[in-house]
Amino acid sequence: MREASEKPVILRVSHITKRFVSKGICVHAVTDVSFDVRKGETIGIVGESGCGKTTLGRCIVRAIEATEGEIQYVGMDGRTYDLLGLKKDEMKKIRKEIQMIFQDPYSSLDPRMTVIDIIGEPLKANYPRMPKAELEEKVIRMAEKVGLNTTYLKRYPHAFSGGQRQRIGTARALILNPQLIVCDEAVSALDVSIQAQIINLLKDLQRELDLTYIFISHDLSVVEHISDRVGVMYLGRLVEFGDTEKLFTRPCHPYTEALLSSVPVADPDIRNERIPLMGEIPNPANPPSGCYFHERCRYCRKKCTEEVPVLREVDGRQVACHFAEELQLRGFDYEM
Amino acid sequence: MSDQPIIQVRDLHISIDMDEGTLTPVRGVSFEIHPGETLGLVGESGCGKSLTSKAILGINEKKCHARGEILFRDGEDRVTDMLKLDPRGKAIRAIRGSQISMIFQEPMVAFSPMYTIGNQINECTRLHITKDKKESKAITLEMMKKVGIANAEKRYDQFPHEFSGGMLQRALIAMALVCRPRLLIADEPTTALDVTIQAQILELMQELQKELGMAILFITHDLGTVAKMCDRVAVMYLGRIVETGTAREIYRNPQHPYTRGLMNSVHKIGTRKLDRLFSIEGTVPLALNLKDGCGFFDRCGERTEGICDLKEPELYCLGGTHCAACVRCREEVTGGA
Amino acid sequence: MTRADRKTLRAIKKAEKAKKKEEKYYLASQWQLMARKLGRHKLARVSMVILGFLYLVALFGDFLAPYSLTAYDADAKDMPPTPIHFMYGDEFIGPYVFPSKWETLKMSVAEMSRAKKEAAERGETFSTRQIVTDETSPQKLQWLVHGSPYRILGIFESDIHLFGVEKGKIFLFGSDNLGRDLFSRIILGGQVSLTIPFAGTLLSFVLGLLIGSISGYFGGWVDNVIQRIIEVLNSLPSLPLWMALSAAIPAGIPPVRMYLLITVILSLIGWTGLARVVRGKFMSLKNEDYILAARLAGVSDMKIILKHMVPGFMSYLIVNLTLGIPSMIIGETSMSFLGLGIQAPATSWGVLLKEAQNVTNIVSHPWCLIPLFFVVLTVLAFNFLGDGMRDAADPYK
Repeated sequence: MREASEKPVILRVSHITKRFVSKGICVHAVTDVSFDVRKGETIGIVGESGCGKTTLGRCIVRAIEATEGEIQYVGMDGRTYDLLGLKKDEMKKIRKEIQMIFQDPYSSLDPRMTVIDIIGEPLKANYPRMPKAELEEKVIRMAEKVGLNTTYLKRYPHAFSGGQRQRIGTARALILNPQLIVCDEAVSALDVSIQAQIINLLKDLQRELDLTYIFISHDLSVVEHISDRVGVMYLGRLVEFGDTEKLFTRPCHPYTEALLSSVPVADPDIRNERIPLMGEIPNPANPPSGCYFHERCRYCRKKCTEEVPVLREVDGRQVACHFAEELQLRGFDYEM
Repeated sequence: MSDQPIIQVRDLHISIDMDEGTLTPVRGVSFEIHPGETLGLVGESGCGKSLTSKAILGINEKKCHARGEILFRDGEDRVTDMLKLDPRGKAIRAIRGSQISMIFQEPMVAFSPMYTIGNQINECTRLHITKDKKESKAITLEMMKKVGIANAEKRYDQFPHEFSGGMLQRALIAMALVCRPRLLIADEPTTALDVTIQAQILELMQELQKELGMAILFITHDLGTVAKMCDRVAVMYLGRIVETGTAREIYRNPQHPYTRGLMNSVHKIGTRKLDRLFSIEGTVPLALNLKDGCGFFDRCGERTEGICDLKEPELYCLGGTHCAACVRCREEVTGGA
Repeated sequence: MTRADRKTLRAIKKAEKAKKKEEKYYLASQWQLMARKLGRHKLARVSMVILGFLYLVALFGDFLAPYSLTAYDADAKDMPPTPIHFMYGDEFIGPYVFPSKWETLKMSVAEMSRAKKEAAERGETFSTRQIVTDETSPQKLQWLVHGSPYRILGIFESDIHLFGVEKGKIFLFGSDNLGRDLFSRIILGGQVSLTIPFAGTLLSFVLGLLIGSISGYFGGWVDNVIQRIIEVLNSLPSLPLWMALSAAIPAGIPPVRMYLLITVILSLIGWTGLARVVRGKFMSLKNEDYILAARLAGVSDMKIILKHMVPGFMSYLIVNLTLGIPSMIIGETSMSFLGLGIQAPATSWGVLLKEAQNVTNIVSHPWCLIPLFFVVLTVLAFNFLGDGMRDAADPYK
């Protein structure tokens, strides 16, 4: 983990904003989010449903176009690209390097294709002249790598369980030899024991292939386990971003504190005192003034209702709270 | 309060006839719940936990054949076997909703979008408590306030789409509790909710349980919420209860290899970060044409050939309330005696 | 080998067989899964057999029908179905018929009024024209007889018919007011009534697929314009539209061309529903994760449409087509019934039903309703088949 901080930055997201406009209503899905990603690390993005974490992930892979902002990406050739301004042919080249693993192992695989075709599809699209034998060999090697039984590659997806399907999805994402993978709730739909299998697989692959992950999830314990650094999102904004352990032991944003205190711990003897959140998540089409969190924050003061806090460096991490320095917030006690 | 169990499930089997053969998702489940107690039924998808809970209310699909006994003790100390009642009959409908009620995973689909929330909760009140319009509305409003719906009078006339997920789950709880049931079946009540809301709902359920004294059958796959909510836990795997005991016994000293695997495969925040999570190999088999022997045999790291694959192990008690269905536990019991 | 050995061997074989079956399921493509599911739908299976039979009959219609379209017999107008006998006296001589024809009775006025009275007493109506059966010369049914020439499948010339009688006529379903055999006409009419809907749906399939995909893929104003056109087309009352369009067909063109034009008319109106289905499916598939995955993998838009989207809704389209055929059959029947469709001497079930328009005709010649039975049978069979296909369309659910 320590070494990670010296590794080069490969993705710099700056001031990304995404607004959806439909029928005259403008929904602010992501507002002014900035962070950077270093090679080989795992960035966790947590937040509750509707906080914009999925939209952010899709903006990064350019499945949807961001309204404002800039994403700088350092390709495997060492050149820096302006990801959002790339032309079509350049984008096709970069696309190989940034891939995605999806949440739903059922809807993310075309039920009409055999597994070998699904995993091989990216190869076929990018290297149309690759001989069939070579393509199949590559698919088989990748299938072995993700722990699929290679005798079953001629089968259709309906023959596989959720965990195995997620392995297929992972193989498809990895076959083009990418360096950055966006995992959008990649284990959320799986059973606990299968989750552990996939998390282990992702970690093994990361080590072996020097992958960088952006791991989007609502499950705090999974994120805590897998990430080197974590970003917490609330109502489309990044409220805190920093080193995992630091953020979990001593959060600096009141929302992070409340979020951490609601995690159920699998131990009947630990009854952590939950910090109650007042009210409900505001409508993203009509966000509150000032700090988006002020209506629900128990530390709210006058300044919070008027001024939008910007993300700034406090205690070795980035926080968007006016009073981050003063507040003494509670996190998890780590047994070391 | 009598200490007689409110519900006793004895040797429940459920089978479903399919073209490929007979599916046996529940194979000999027994448990009981006492007044004021919360029993957690834990297991992964396909272990039969939902079918078991639905069998209590007789709301499984027609093709599910249930066998065994489900004895329910009502307020007047009469015992009825729920399985013997006609699933469409009057007798079971009198119990459903008033004596035993249920909350579901998806609050969005539990309400009809065509009627107001108040209307739908009130339906239950008027069916079981009073036909008087004014009185029933008062009872409904009181329950809505009790589950923490602010501004209940205004909310009464709102439609489901005007509620957030957390609020809807509160409304669903209000609907389930308005008749003050003796048993509440909660089928993954917080799985679809965000963590902050989930914590609120769980606390609400605990408060209401204290106040109304009902028993709760809490069904979930999440070991975290079980630890928070339940007095006793029953772990299910492939249609059988493989381990049961108090929450502390199960969490502190899990005996069945499956329970242990399940516990270890969840990372606990605040503990030392292991490089790899423990994971149980393989996947849950389909409960179709099962072989003899322990259902967990193929995935078990501690299996013994020649013993485990011959006969399905029974539940062996390890003293007190803690029982596990593993031959290793039998060795301990007989070896110690 | 002991008995126990044999038992275990059998068990092993059984397990192997089960495994093979399982493997086959895992290797089954979408279409194989659908076929399997369709096979389990009993009504659909029966419907398939019925439709298969009907189409076979239509295909070999000229051979099966004893008479051609142009054959008529002025002496055998409005004959009821000819009874078929097997025993002549006490002797079994195989299936045969008696030649029969209409004759006007020659009787005096007094005789006639007496006969009328007697008939009234028996509750019958008396007519001077009566069918006279020549019971002295039984006509054995002849197999593979020479008759009017025809071309089978439009290629092989032949004049052999499955059955016929030497003297007199055989009317299995009776005859019409020109003395034409209804049985032959139902078979030959079926050739039109069963094929036009097929050709028509195929044409509207192409139109619907094309226009629907354009609408769904491009979205925006293109979609808007196409949807409005569909709405306008749907709001036109179909009867006047048919009349206008068939008025546009020049008179005196050969029957084959006429078929084709009717097909075109029917499908020009029929594509709208299909286009809507295609568009809707397109829109919902656009948001599937596997489409996004393909996009991220760098697969081109055209390939995504052809490889992921079209196969994705093809099964639904086929269901829609099957369920659309009955309305096409009804459409053709109604057009012909109104006299807008096929012209004599060519025929279809609609044309035949036209002859059953008048109530007195139905009372005295109930057999002229037989074509209706075939229309109903076909429409029902297609509906049941479509039903079964709809259940099978999504084998992954």
